[in-house]
Amino acid sequence: MYTSILSATMQGIRAIPVQVEVDVSPGLPGFSMVGTVNSQVREAQDRVRTSLHNLEIPVPPRRITINLSPADVPKAGTGFDLPITAAILESLGQLPKGGLESVMVTGEVGLDGQIKKVRGVLAMVEEARKSGCQGCIVPWENRREAQMIQGIRSVGVRNLGEFMRTVRERTWEHPEKEREKMEIAPEITADFREIKGQTAAKRGALLAAAGFHNILLMGPPGSGKTMVAKRIPGLLPALSHEEAMEITSIYSVAGLLSSKVPWVSNRPFRSPHHTISPQALAGGGKIPMPGEITLAHKGVLFLDELPEMKRETLEILRQPLEDGEIHIARVGGRYSFPAEFLLVGAMNPCPCGYYPDRNRCDCGEHEIKRYQQRISQAFLDRMDICVTTNAATYGEFRGEIPDSDSIQWSTENMRKEVERARLIQKERLKESGICYNSQIPPGEISTYCKTSEEAEKMLQGAFEKLHLSGRACNRILRVARTAADLAGKEQIEEEEIAEAIGYRSFDKHSWK
Amino acid sequence: MSENIKIYKKTEEGYPKNLLQLPDAPSRLYVLGELPDPMRPAIAIVGARNCSSYGKNMAYEYARILTQRGIQVISGLARGVDAAAHAGALAAGGKTYGVMGCGVDFCYPTSSRKLYHVMQQQGGILSEFAPGTPPLSYHFPLRNRIISGLSGAILVVEAKEKSGSLITADAALEQGRTVFALPGRVGDLLSEGCNRLIYQGAIPAWKPEIILEEMEWTGKKEIIQEDFTQEKKIVLAREDDLVYSCLDLNPKAVSQLQDETGLPSGSLLKSLYYLTAKDLAREVWQNYYIRTEKRWA
Repeated sequence: MYTSILSATMQGIRAIPVQVEVDVSPGLPGFSMVGTVNSQVREAQDRVRTSLHNLEIPVPPRRITINLSPADVPKAGTGFDLPITAAILESLGQLPKGGLESVMVTGEVGLDGQIKKVRGVLAMVEEARKSGCQGCIVPWENRREAQMIQGIRSVGVRNLGEFMRTVRERTWEHPEKEREKMEIAPEITADFREIKGQTAAKRGALLAAAGFHNILLMGPPGSGKTMVAKRIPGLLPALSHEEAMEITSIYSVAGLLSSKVPWVSNRPFRSPHHTISPQALAGGGKIPMPGEITLAHKGVLFLDELPEMKRETLEILRQPLEDGEIHIARVGGRYSFPAEFLLVGAMNPCPCGYYPDRNRCDCGEHEIKRYQQRISQAFLDRMDICVTTNAATYGEFRGEIPDSDSIQWSTENMRKEVERARLIQKERLKESGICYNSQIPPGEISTYCKTSEEAEKMLQGAFEKLHLSGRACNRILRVARTAADLAGKEQIEEEEIAEAIGYRSFDKHSWK
Repeated sequence: MSENIKIYKKTEEGYPKNLLQLPDAPSRLYVLGELPDPMRPAIAIVGARNCSSYGKNMAYEYARILTQRGIQVISGLARGVDAAAHAGALAAGGKTYGVMGCGVDFCYPTSSRKLYHVMQQQGGILSEFAPGTPPLSYHFPLRNRIISGLSGAILVVEAKEKSGSLITADAALEQGRTVFALPGRVGDLLSEGCNRLIYQGAIPAWKPEIILEEMEWTGKKEIIQEDFTQEKKIVLAREDDLVYSCLDLNPKAVSQLQDETGLPSGSLLKSLYYLTAKDLAREVWQNYYIRTEKRWA
C-alpha cells in the first residue's frame, strides 16, 4: 500500500520540497529508509515505531519501505518524523486515504507521541505556499512562526492524537481566527547618552551607521569600546517588513527564534568570542548552517579583541565584506547565505592596552607593531573608520553630563540624523540599485562624490603625503560623502575630507 | 661589505684622541663610514627605547637644532630616543654616528635598518666588537662608555629610574663629561631618571641653546652663529589658532581636543590637518596629536 506526503528539507536558507513515500507491503518484516538521508533522519524509524507502539497503534509485521524524493538531495534534520508517521498511518488505514493531499507536514516525534519543534519552518511554509499547497501542519511551538506567511493556512499540533484529529477534521480548511501580525518595534536597550566623553567614538559610530561603513574602535581596556559597539544597532533605521522576514527566516533555519516572539524585530547584534572557528563565523557543517556573519545580516557583527582572533578566521571576512553574501561549497552542493553586515571591530592598541600612555605602557615598539600586524593590511583596508577611545578621567566618569551633550549624543537624536542622511543617500543612489554610500562602486565615485576645489587639493596632498592606495582614497571619499550627507551638504568640502582622513584606519602611520 | 670596514688600533694614528684618555679604552675600533671629526664638538643623545612621543619628539628636535649649529650627534642606534636623535641629525643634513653593541656588519635592531644604511654615507657606524660578533646583552653597557667617551657632553632625554641611559651618564661623569638632562613632568615614569640626574647636579637642558652656552661651543668658528630660534611669525586662522593653543607636548586625543575647543568634529580635524601640514602639529598615533614646534605669534 503506497502513500506519499509532502514535506521539506533545508538547503542553506532555502527549503526544498521532499515527497515522503511509504510503501507497506507483504514480505519479510523490516523497516528500510532510502533517499540520501543522514543519521538524524535515519533515526526517525525508531522514534516512529516506538511512538506508534506507545499510542497502541499496532504496526503489522510487514515490510515498510520509505523513500525521500528527490533521492539525490541530501536531507538532514528531524522534521521527517511526522510525515513518515502520517504516511504509515495512512497506509495502515488509520487516516483517511488522500487526507493530506496538498498539505505540507513537518515535525519531530517523541517516543510518547509529543511533537517537537523543528528548524526552518518559515522557509518551508513559504515554499509550500509557492507550490500551491492548501495548508501546513507544523509543531505547536512553530505555529506562530508559520502563521506569518500570508496566503496559506498553518495549523500547529501538540501530539500525534491531535495530529490525527486535525487530519480527520481537515482543520486547515476551517475559517481562520485572527492572525497575529508581526510587529516591528525596535526596542532600544542601551542609549548613547550613557557613554561619557568619547566624542570621537560617538561621531565615528554616527558616520558608520549613516553610511554603513565598517568601523574599528581602538583604545585601552575599559574605555568603552564595547559600550559604543553595543549601541550601534540602535542607530540603524528600523527594519522594513521584507528585511524582518529575511532575517526571521535565517533565524528560523538556525533554530534561534524564541517561541514567545517568533520573529526578529530588531537589527541583529552578534558578538562571537574571539576563539570562534572559521566555520562558525562563515557558516559550516556537512549541510552548512548559517554562521555568525549571516546571523548578523542587516545588523551589526561585533568582533572584540581583533588581534586575538586567528588570522585565517579574519581573512574569511574579506569576501563577504565585498559581496554581501558568502558562498560555501560542500560535497552536497553549493550554498549561498546573505551576509550584509556592518562590521564593528575593537582592539587594544598594544599587548598591555595602554599605549600611547607611556606611564602605564612599557611595550616595545616592535611589540606594538607585531601586535597590530596580526591584522592584515588587506583587512584594515576594509575598515573605513578607525577611532580611538581614551580612558575617561574621574571627573568625566562621575560627573554629570551637560544637557546639551546628552541631547546631542542620545540614540534618539543620533538616529534622526542617520535617517536624514539615509534619505539623502536613497534619493541620490536610487538609479544605481544600491542603498548606502559605502557601496558606491569605484567607477561611480566621481559621479556621486563631488568635491570642492579646496577639498580636492587637500585630498591630493594627503594622497601624496600618506602614500594612500587607490582603494584607500575611494574609501575616504565614501566616508566624506556620508559626512557631507550628515551635514546636509551637496558638495564635499574640506571639513568632510579632513574628517574622513582623520578617522582613516591607522595604516596611515609609518613607524620611524 | 667587510672590505669597507676600517680598523683603528689604539696604538696607531687616527684613533680618536678623546678615547685615549679612557682607562678602559677599546683596543680597536671598527668603522663603517667615518669617525667623528675631532675638530668639531660632539654630543651624545641617549634615552629610553620604549620612550613616549614627547621623548621621541624632543630627541629629534634637539638633535636637529644642535646639528644645524654644527654639532655632531652620537648615539647607539637603538629604538626610541637613539633612533629619533639620529633621524633628527640626518634631517638637518648633518653627520651622525652610531656606536653598536655588536659587529658593525650587523644591523641591530633591525628596525633601524634605514638609519644604518644612510649613516654609513652620512656619518659612521662604530663598534669595538669584531665583525660577526652577535648583539649580546652584556655588550650594550660596554658600548655606552664609547658613546660618552667620543662626546664632549651627553644629553639624557628620557630614562626611567633604572635605565641603561643612566649607565651612560655614570660613565660620562667618570670620564669628566658634562651631563645634561631633559626635564620632564613630575609623575611621568619616563622622566624620573632625568629629574633625578638634575637633582644630582646634571644641567637641565630646557632648550637646546643651554647646551651651546654651557659648553661654550658658541665661540668656536665651526659653529654656525646664525640664530635659528628667530621669531617665526606664523599667522594662523582663528580656528587653527584655537586648536593649536590646546595642543600640548604630550599626546592629546581628538575627543579631548573636541571637548576643550568645542569645535565640531569636521572643523577640528580640518584644523589639525592644516597644522600638521605646516609642521606645527603631528599625529603621533591614531587620533592622538602633539604640538611640534615653538611658535611666536
